[in-house]
Amino acid sequence: MKTDELVHTLAADTTSVAPRSLTPRLLLATAAAVVVWLALLIPIYGMPATAAPHGWFWMKNTYSLVLALVGLVAVVRLARPGGRVGWIAWIALAAVAALAMMAMRETMRAAPGEVVPLWLGQTWAICPVRILVVGAPMFVAAFWLLRRMAPTRPALAGAAAGFFAGAMGAATYGLYCQESAAAFVVVWYTLGIVICAGLGAGLGRWLLRW
Amino acid sequence: MTDTESGLKEMMLRGLAGDAGAHAQLLGALGGHLRAYFARRLGPGAAETEDLVQETLLAIHLKRDTYDPRQPFTPWAYAIGRYKLLDHFRRRGVRKSVPLEDAGVLIAAETAEEGATRRDLAQLMSELPDRQRALIEDVKINGYSIEEAAGRQSMTPGAAKVAIHRALQRLARKVRS
Repeated sequence: MKTDELVHTLAADTTSVAPRSLTPRLLLATAAAVVVWLALLIPIYGMPATAAPHGWFWMKNTYSLVLALVGLVAVVRLARPGGRVGWIAWIALAAVAALAMMAMRETMRAAPGEVVPLWLGQTWAICPVRILVVGAPMFVAAFWLLRRMAPTRPALAGAAAGFFAGAMGAATYGLYCQESAAAFVVVWYTLGIVICAGLGAGLGRWLLRW
Repeated sequence: MTDTESGLKEMMLRGLAGDAGAHAQLLGALGGHLRAYFARRLGPGAAETEDLVQETLLAIHLKRDTYDPRQPFTPWAYAIGRYKLLDHFRRRGVRKSVPLEDAGVLIAAETAEEGATRRDLAQLMSELPDRQRALIEDVKINGYSIEEAAGRQSMTPGAAKVAIHRALQRLARKVRS
């Protein structure tokens, strides 16, 4: 077939098309996933705010939500041809650095025998796995929606989707997590989110091509 | 001429609003520029050039809802062309980088005359379901309007439009495999 015949055929398929926006769809899907998780978790563990020590509750969730926001912006930018992450990535690094500094301060104030419990908590072995599990629906939703877009850096777009899903998983799981040390969060939450991003990069290479 | 950022963008916006003539004009103009761009990267007379032009035009058509009208048009089209070139190298197992140039190179460059294809889209089309293939052939080769082509298949025009769109999506997948 000649190219001008193809052009002709494509023109026959012209209908009025609205620009596709990703942000509202992704937010809606994510909100739905959070609601479903809460519907499952509240009957078992009770209301979130009562489940964790108060001040630390906000530290953890602010951290996760800041990372989720960075992930969201990155996903939306990378979803379109030519999209780049841009300076927003520095905000994620700044959040990690700020929490790492809090963790250092905790460590210096801790008695020698308390340092290891500070960094490992009670749940270090399962925390990243739980973040992965809770973030799974957000992960699927982000990939599903990205496949309808046109990322020209599929691995990076997949990593951003995984990062976003992991951070939302952490924010949701964090409502029930009993750990209260910045040292714990900066290591194990971050690890869970980074694993999600890595999975996203690997899958994105295959699933986000078009 | 119309081959400037503002000219192309205007045609794109009209095409997005449903103007088939403007859309055809846009794809025709982009075809010429993409051909020159790919020929420069693949070397003159490369057999894959025209295949890649067709694959990219299909992608531009099917992904046109990812263009944000608040942004300039040329970088969007250039990014798709460059992506398709990189994807082509990757599928061939060729380790080759493609420099990220200013998007303007796409339209600043000359256009090139259509060359021969190596892969025949008509051949791939023959693997489509009968009705989809018949619709496309009627529209493309026999010059029927969608309404007439739909009537020949005893379909409503709406159903025919959906079928043609599905056929093109399927074609885009086949082109890559």
